[in-house]
This record gives sequence, C-alpha cells and structure tokens, in this order.
Amino acid sequence: MNSKRLLNQRNLLMLAALILAALVPLAFRSDQYAMILMTTVLIYAVLATAWNIIGGMAGQLDLAMGAYLGLGAFTAGTLLIRWSITPWIGMFLGGLVSMLFAMLIGFPLFGFKIKELWYALTSSALVTVMQVIFLMWNGVGGPTEVYLPTRISPLYSLRFNTYMPYYYILLVLLVVVIIFNNRIRYSKLGYSLLALGEDEDAVEVLGVNSQASKLKALMIYAFVCGIVGGLYACIYGYLHPSFFSTNMSTEIAILGIVGGLGITYGPLLAAVLLVSFREYLRASLGGGMEGLYLAVYAVILILIALFQPRGLAPLVNSGYRKLQTFFGELRHGKPADVESH
Amino acid sequence: MENQPMLKVTNLTKKFGNLVAVNNASMEVYPGEIVGLIGPNGAGKTTLFNAITGLYKPENGKVVFKGVNITGFLPHKICKLGMSRTFQVTRAFLHMTVEDTVRVGAYNRRNEKNVLAKVDEIIELCELGDIRTRVCGDLGLAQLRKVELARALATEPEMLLLDEAGAGLNATELSAFMTLLQSLNKDYHITFCVVEHVMQMVMGICQRIVVLDSGELIASGTPSEISHNQRVIEAYLGKRAVNYVN
Amino acid sequence: MIETATQSVITGTMMGIIYALIALGLSIIFGVMNVVNFAHGDFVMLAMYLSFTVGTLFAWDAVITPVITVPLLFVFGLITYYLLIDRTLRQMYVVQLAVTVGLQILMRSAALIIWQAQPRALQYSFIQGNIEIGPYSILTSRLVGAVVSLIFIGGIAYFLNKTWSGKAMRAASDDLDVASLMGVNYHRTYALTFAIGAALTAVAGGLLMSFQQTDPQGGVRFGLLSWCVLALAGLGSLPGLIVSGIIVGIAETFAISFIDPRARLLAVYAIFILVLWLRPRGLFGRK
Repeated sequence: MNSKRLLNQRNLLMLAALILAALVPLAFRSDQYAMILMTTVLIYAVLATAWNIIGGMAGQLDLAMGAYLGLGAFTAGTLLIRWSITPWIGMFLGGLVSMLFAMLIGFPLFGFKIKELWYALTSSALVTVMQVIFLMWNGVGGPTEVYLPTRISPLYSLRFNTYMPYYYILLVLLVVVIIFNNRIRYSKLGYSLLALGEDEDAVEVLGVNSQASKLKALMIYAFVCGIVGGLYACIYGYLHPSFFSTNMSTEIAILGIVGGLGITYGPLLAAVLLVSFREYLRASLGGGMEGLYLAVYAVILILIALFQPRGLAPLVNSGYRKLQTFFGELRHGKPADVESH
Repeated sequence: MENQPMLKVTNLTKKFGNLVAVNNASMEVYPGEIVGLIGPNGAGKTTLFNAITGLYKPENGKVVFKGVNITGFLPHKICKLGMSRTFQVTRAFLHMTVEDTVRVGAYNRRNEKNVLAKVDEIIELCELGDIRTRVCGDLGLAQLRKVELARALATEPEMLLLDEAGAGLNATELSAFMTLLQSLNKDYHITFCVVEHVMQMVMGICQRIVVLDSGELIASGTPSEISHNQRVIEAYLGKRAVNYVN
Repeated sequence: MIETATQSVITGTMMGIIYALIALGLSIIFGVMNVVNFAHGDFVMLAMYLSFTVGTLFAWDAVITPVITVPLLFVFGLITYYLLIDRTLRQMYVVQLAVTVGLQILMRSAALIIWQAQPRALQYSFIQGNIEIGPYSILTSRLVGAVVSLIFIGGIAYFLNKTWSGKAMRAASDDLDVASLMGVNYHRTYALTFAIGAALTAVAGGLLMSFQQTDPQGGVRFGLLSWCVLALAGLGSLPGLIVSGIIVGIAETFAISFIDPRARLLAVYAIFILVLWLRPRGLFGRK
C-alpha cells in the first residue's frame, strides 16, 4: 500500500545506504585492497539483485549467469580489440548479445516446460558448454588470455589503473537494477512472475502467458549479466574462457536463495554481507592454506540454508519491524504501520 | 443468438497411455446457463475440464467456445477469450496476499491504471475485505475456495468452470456460496459449468445436468429428470441397487 | 573411418558402463529420497582423491583401493545424510540445492587444501596394456572397470529386490507415509540409501583412477554426466541405466575422436537437452 509513496521509511533507509556507499571509497581511496574488495562486492550485488528477477520472482532456478556474463565480456572486449569500439557502447552491445542468447536458450526450454531441477541442471551445464566452445574458438583467443588494450584514452577504453571509477559505475548500475527490480515487482510482469513461480497451470488459466513472462524475466536478467560482463572484462583487463564460471554462477543463485527468494533486498543483502565476509576470510586466511577461506564460507552458506531456509531478508525484516514498532511507540504511543514487502 | 451454444464439446477423447479418461464426450452449454457436470469418482470430469481449458491436449474431438475452435489452445489464450476456471484441489498462490492474487487475474483485461479498481470491485463482491492483505498460505479451505473464485472472476470471464467449488464447505458457507453464484449468473451474466459432488448445490442451482461415467456421457437433462434416470442411478449405485429400488 | 568409429563404440561402451555405476548412486538417492544432490559429481572427485592417497600410501593398484575407500565414503555419506540432508527432506528443493551446493564448495575447497590444485594420478598399476582383437584394442584397465561396474550394478539390483533393507528402500520410494506406517524407519532407510549412493562413487572412483587423473574441479564433469545418464534412463530401470550410460559414453568418445577432445562435454550436453525436450520421462522411465 505504501509502496507507492516515494519517501517512505524504506526508501529513506535505502537513500542513506546509497549515500554511505558513495562516500566510503573516498575514505579508502589509497587502499587498493579495500577498493578491490568493494568492487567485487558490488559485482556480486548487481548480479544477485538481477538474479532475483528470474530466480526469486519467477522461481526459475537459473544457474547460467556465467554464460551471460562471459558472452558480455567477450563481446565488449572483442569489439574494443578488433574495432576500437569503446566499452561504454560495447557493454550494452554485450548485454544485447547475452539477451538474444538467453532468448534462443529460453524459448525452447520454457516452451517444453523444462523447470525446477531440470532447468537448474540445464542452465548450469550451459555455462560449461559455453566455456568449452570459447576454449575451442581460437578467433577470440581460445585458451590464451587476451589482454585489453588502452585505445585513445583510459576513459574511452574504460581502462583505469584504480578501481574507483569501476566502483562508481557499478554503483550506478546497482541503483538502476534495484529501481528496475522494484518497478517490475509491482507491475503486471512482477505479479505474474510471483504467481507462476508458485503454480504455473493456475496462473495460465488466469490469462497469463507463463512462457512469455519467464522469457522476459530471463532476458532482462541476461541483459544485466551481459553489461556486468563488459565491465568485468575491463576491470580484469583481459578475456579468458574462465569467465564462463560454473562456480560463480551457482554462487549468485545461492546468494539469491540465502538472501531470501523474491525479496529485492535479500540477494543484495546476502551479496554485501557474505561476499565481503568471504573476501575478508580470503585476506586473513588466504596466505597459508589455499581453499580454507572457501571451506569456511561454504560452512556458513550451509548453516544459513539449513537454519534460515526462508533466507536472511525475513530475519532482518523482523528485526527492522521490531525497531520500527519500538520507535513508533516512542513517537506516537502506538505501533507504526508495517509494510509487507 | 440464444440458440448458439457458448461452449460446444464434440466427440472429445483423452487418453493417458492405455487408460481412456474421457471417451467421445459431447456436451453443450448455452449462454446464461448453470450446467452441472456430475458423475462417480474417476468418471473423467476433471480431465474433461482440463481438456476444455487447455491444460491437456485431447487426442480427438473438438472444443468450440463462442464460435472459436479452441482445441489445443494454450490456457492463457482461452482465458483471454473469456473462459476461466477453479481447481478441485485449491491451487492458491500460497506466498501471495489475497489482493495480489486477485490482481494477477485482473490484469487479464486491465492495465496498470485501472487494475486496482477491478481488484477492489472483486474483493467487495466476494466479501474478502477482511482478509485482503492476508497471505493465502494462512487461510482456511472455505476462504481459499472464495479466493480462487475471486481471481477467476477478476479475469472478467463470460464463462466459468468450477471444479468442486462446494467441497469441504459447511452448510452456511455452502448456501452463501450458492447465493453468490446465482447472483453472478443473474447480475453479471456469467455462464457456469460446475463439477460437483454436493448434490444439494447441484440440485439447488443447476438448470441442466450432464452425467459422465467411465469417461462417457450417459445422460443429460433437468435436475428432476436426472434424479429419476435409470442409467444414472446404475452408475452411482451399481446395477443391484437399481433392482432393489425397483 | 569405420575403424575409428568401431573403436569409439568399444571404448565408449566401457566408459559408459562406469558412468552407469556413478549414475546409479545418484539414481537411488533421487529415486528413493527425491533428494537433489548437486554434489554427486564431487563425491566421485573425493573418491578419486581417496583412491590416489590409498594407492600411493600402500603402493596399491587403483582398482583395489575401493576396499578402503568404499567404507570411507559410506561413512562420509552417513555423516552427510544426518548432518545435512535429513534436515532438508521436508524443505523445497531450492533449499536442498543451496545445501548441496554449499557441500560442493566445501568438498572442492577441502580437496584444494589437502591435495592442492595440480592434477593427481596414480603410478602403480598391474593391469596394464591392451587386449588386441584384430585392428581394435581394449585398454585392460577399462575392461576391468566395466566388468567390476557391471558386477556392482548387479549386486545393487539383487540388494533392492531380495533383501529387506532393499525392499524398504523401494517401499519408501513409492510412498513415504505408507512405508512409515508399515514400520520402515525412513530416516534409517534414507541414511542407508544415501550412504550406498556415496559408496558406489567410491567404487567408480577407484576404477576411474586406474586410467585417469583428478583435480579439485574434477567433479563438474561427473555431475553433468550422471544427471545426463539419469535423465536419459528415467527412474526405476537398471538395464535402462546401463544402456543410457553406454549411449552417453559412446557419444562422448565419438565427440573426442571426430571433433575435438574438448568437445566431449558438448556431446553430453546435446543429449541431455534433447532428452529433456523430447522425452522428459527418459527412455526407460516408469514415472
């Protein structure tokens, strides 16, 4: 009900978080490691938030993130290398390529009603397949790393020697994706996706074209992944088939699940909390034993999935409501009204 | 126009492997009618509904709705044409609120601007105001049946198929439900085809009854004709019972 | 051309039977418990590493190592079941996915910690060389692998059909509530099922280790392979599982011989997608 109001508490809170996120890098300007960490967190945050559209709302457990990210990276990178096209344009073209690819994959998949477990498996396998194809495709580098050149100027080629510009680009992207998420959530598409995630037949007899709705969700998601892919290539400065990573793909989905399915801020929250935790572990444990930080991280994921199966967001939500009620009582002497989403 | 059937099913057959669930069934529903579809358990009533609404593709036969051959259409297309349904075992969107559930249906004919008006109208009509912000997973069966009717009504159908919408309701709930159906039929000119086990409801509101047994249509007529039909009594009670009655 | 094709069929058949053994573990876990174990391929990876360690430690042939690795993986399966899987039984499959993917990350990082990133292979083997039949040759180690796999698949068939525990497993797969009513403690039945599924990967791991190497990411391939075999076979038919394994194995060797060694996964994926599109119940499925 209050979702329409622009300046409700939730939005104010988000605005505060945004300002904080915009200011933090200024404090860590000279700390390269902190900047890498924050940029990494943002990459995961954007991807996990976008995943919410296909995974959280539509309930399609997509594990193909790496396929779309890789395609976007190779599109933007190759355009820069071959034709000196700026990644500013290249990343959107990468997004488009990923989106078209998602359409080609999704149309038959959804048309044949491949869903749940089998959708998850096929989408996961798709990443490996794309990796193999790009390993074999020597025209774009095959198994060797292809470095991105700096053409014309760092700004033109999106090749900076600090992480700060990438951080801000990603932050803008995150805000756009969040706004988009909310717009979709409270639109025809959003309601249709949420309902078909629960019961596809029931939603069909209410006039919803479930195949088209799922396809739209998948294409939006792939578009975002493709754009991130273009940035990803610029940030790392090279192209390699390892961008088609099954591990990273499943991790995005896990962040979405562990954050709370269908709640915009859930995957975001999970990405921010867990990825920074993981990177912190990597920094503090990484030196001695390779893999130890991942093991600890895996245990945390398992514990959350086991003991908070509805995700972190409901947990934080109930805490937030308690605070709200508490302050509401202080101010008005009665509980404040509470939003459902 | 009055003589044109709204729904015409001709020689419809649906098989699952070797099992013939619906065999060569034909029936018609005319505009403004409330038709009851009855038959013993496993007679193929739900299968027939699924084949009409596009959830199953029939092996044989034809379904014509408002003059359009909709055989093999996807369910959402059929809904756009003006036919929706409810399910025997309620299939609510358990994590969605009542108003959001109704909204999913309302988008069938409404856009973002006027969808809320429809939601409000339907919620008032079905008396769901008290529970509109409740999550469906928390509701009882009677409420779920109402929500399911409400979301189907929100699609603004000309014809509704109700699959055992009265099952599990107590006497008060049932009579309220019957009143609602009759008012929808009279005031909103919605044509109904209802699968029903609750005889009180079938006899109370249906103008015509069609009987299905082992996948085949065995009788059709007014409630009083049907209640005296030999084959119907046989189907429900077995041959010996008929001899006993006679 | 024809010779290469025939050779591919022979090699593919041998490999395929081993794949069927791996998929059998997944199949009984999925079929009986309806649990989605995304980490199944990583159980194979772990089994291969354990074979490597046991083989190195005692200077044994890889084929013998299951004597030790089977009990190890059986126990590991039990622990996994009681610690993780048992708690996810009544949850959505999404939670099962999250938990088993967590397990997957855990197992891969554990492998990385214990055995490091570089591929490991066993050096000792007394079943070396080829058996030559005309122009064709069969690697002895693969033949042994195929035969041992068949023996174990047969053993599982006997277990499921003739023993009380096996019947309890099948009963639990048909109807959990009825099985509980008839006195089947489904927690114990499920634990046994999961442990057997894990133990079967130990057998396969030993066989694979006699002619392959492994690395921490080695499970990805076997995960995809076994789901593909399972999708192709459907649930409930052991001969179907063997045939499906062979089809996948042959497709893989054909891709290796005629396209590119790296294309093997593409062939598997193509089969996987085709089956899901054309025959979602699998070729031999009863469900």
